[in-house]
Amino acid sequence: MTREFKNRVRERFGRAADGYIRDAGFATGDDLNTMVELLQPSSDDNMLDVACGGGHTALRFAPLVRSVVASDLSMVMLKKAQEYVSEEGGVDNVIFREADAEDLPFPAGAFTLLTCRIAPHHFPDVPRALSEFHRVLRRGGRMALVDTLMPSDPEVAEWHQEMERLRDNTHIRAFTEEEWTEMVSAAGFIIHETVVVEKTHDFPAWASRGGMSRNDISELNKLFVEAPNKVQDYFQIETFAGEVETYTDQKLLIYASRPPKK
Amino acid sequence: MKNVNDELLQILACPQCKGPVELVEPQGIVCRACQLVYPIRDDIPVMLIDEAMPLDES
Repeated sequence: MTREFKNRVRERFGRAADGYIRDAGFATGDDLNTMVELLQPSSDDNMLDVACGGGHTALRFAPLVRSVVASDLSMVMLKKAQEYVSEEGGVDNVIFREADAEDLPFPAGAFTLLTCRIAPHHFPDVPRALSEFHRVLRRGGRMALVDTLMPSDPEVAEWHQEMERLRDNTHIRAFTEEEWTEMVSAAGFIIHETVVVEKTHDFPAWASRGGMSRNDISELNKLFVEAPNKVQDYFQIETFAGEVETYTDQKLLIYASRPPKK
Repeated sequence: MKNVNDELLQILACPQCKGPVELVEPQGIVCRACQLVYPIRDDIPVMLIDEAMPLDES
């Protein structure tokens, strides 16, 4: 990961940290419940949550596992996450590390469980991150990844990419389900299940969370309002008096594991 | 340094060479192989290659 891009990520998430901690979509969400159901965490598990953001995944899993290491590229985000986890209370088995998903500072086979939720679209080199996930997971270890799904229609996908980049200059790209399964398999994982979960975003909260100016939000609103019909349909864009109220995108959850020892 | 005890060091490695690291106070977390020191800020190890300082053995 280049230093320039990394600094951009840190700057953006440092600025937006509070918004991420408080965001209801991150704190709760069907994808988080599905992750727990599929991974079946136990008190024997040592878990790594990569790109932990506000710490919501770490906090959800902490009571269910032995320990959680939560890593993120942004120190500001980590401190906020630490604050959030300690305020929400009840757990003392979460520790924080500033780390790059593409160069993880953990020995091989250190974890039995790995999660990475709604973050890979910020990674410049997803295959490299996946290879690191594979390395730090013990054989037989389980992994759940969640990220925004790239729409399969090229026109909708192109609009989505433009929209995400306009909102967030640390957005690299989302991937289709086919691309994801190919990358995860190529990294050496066995894929057990993929689940698509819809996520409805409150537009004003979602747009302002990244620290956009009023002017930029109005540009983003215009892009949504003027989107072609098939984009409007795909993202179920709801407007009132020219203002976007909500839109819905899809998250792909991949449940996979590192093959056990033969 | 309540966050950086022995057990936790066991699940830390140098992000560059993936080899073992050790806690050397007051500098931080040291990788002898790479001759790098990773700083600790507010009890959180900064395990980024770019942020590491050359190890001064003197």
